[in-house]
Amino acid sequence: MDESKDVPKDFIKLKSEKLSVDEVSELVISPCCGAVSLFIGTTRNNFEGKKVICLEYEAYTSMAEIEIKKICRDIRQKWLSVKHIAVHHRLGVVPVTEASVIIAVSSPHRAESLEAVTYCISTLKASVPIWKKEIYEDEYSWKENKECFWTNSEK
Amino acid sequence: QVSVLYFARSAELAGLRCETLSVPRQITSRQLWEEIVKVHPRLAVIQDQVVFAVRQEYVLLGDHLLVLQPGDEVAIIPPISGG
Repeated sequence: MDESKDVPKDFIKLKSEKLSVDEVSELVISPCCGAVSLFIGTTRNNFEGKKVICLEYEAYTSMAEIEIKKICRDIRQKWLSVKHIAVHHRLGVVPVTEASVIIAVSSPHRAESLEAVTYCISTLKASVPIWKKEIYEDEYSWKENKECFWTNSEK
Repeated sequence: QVSVLYFARSAELAGLRCETLSVPRQITSRQLWEEIVKVHPRLAVIQDQVVFAVRQEYVLLGDHLLVLQPGDEVAIIPPISGG
């Protein structure tokens, strides 16, 4: 690794291939950092008693990348010591137990990267234009995140 | 003329993902929604749940005056569920 080029970087990718935890965590590793924190979102096999076969994701890709970039910028303003941030989100069909999103953040000490990862996934769910359809045995349902910033809570 | 993009449930209701629409250069977001519903009446059911993205920035449905340029991208954004 060329240490002189170890400037803070954001790695944002939306792709339809299977996500790799190894790949995402390697992206954020840095000689000056003692902590890499990870979040992996995986497809659950049930929702309200119904069997979930798989999830299907779609995105307004150009805007999703812009919104994720804004989240990265916010993270760096709130946690100054954060080094690298990687957000990989899968699109298309994601079978049960496979990952739909992997977030990795590196920082010199663990508190910042742990907090930044939590902030990242919560804000992603509130503001990034990505949608998922839950596919059951005989029907499907477009999901709505409770974090979505414009929906009424009394709905 | 603007490009209108449809996603998720709005794409299912409208039956398409993308089209060009002729609209006045200055229009409120509420009026823009009404123009779109004229073309795709089935979209009316999600009226209370959607927002727009105009040039990739969120705009709530309301009296906000939009100044549109030819070729601008306007997206219908149903409640999101990423992550």
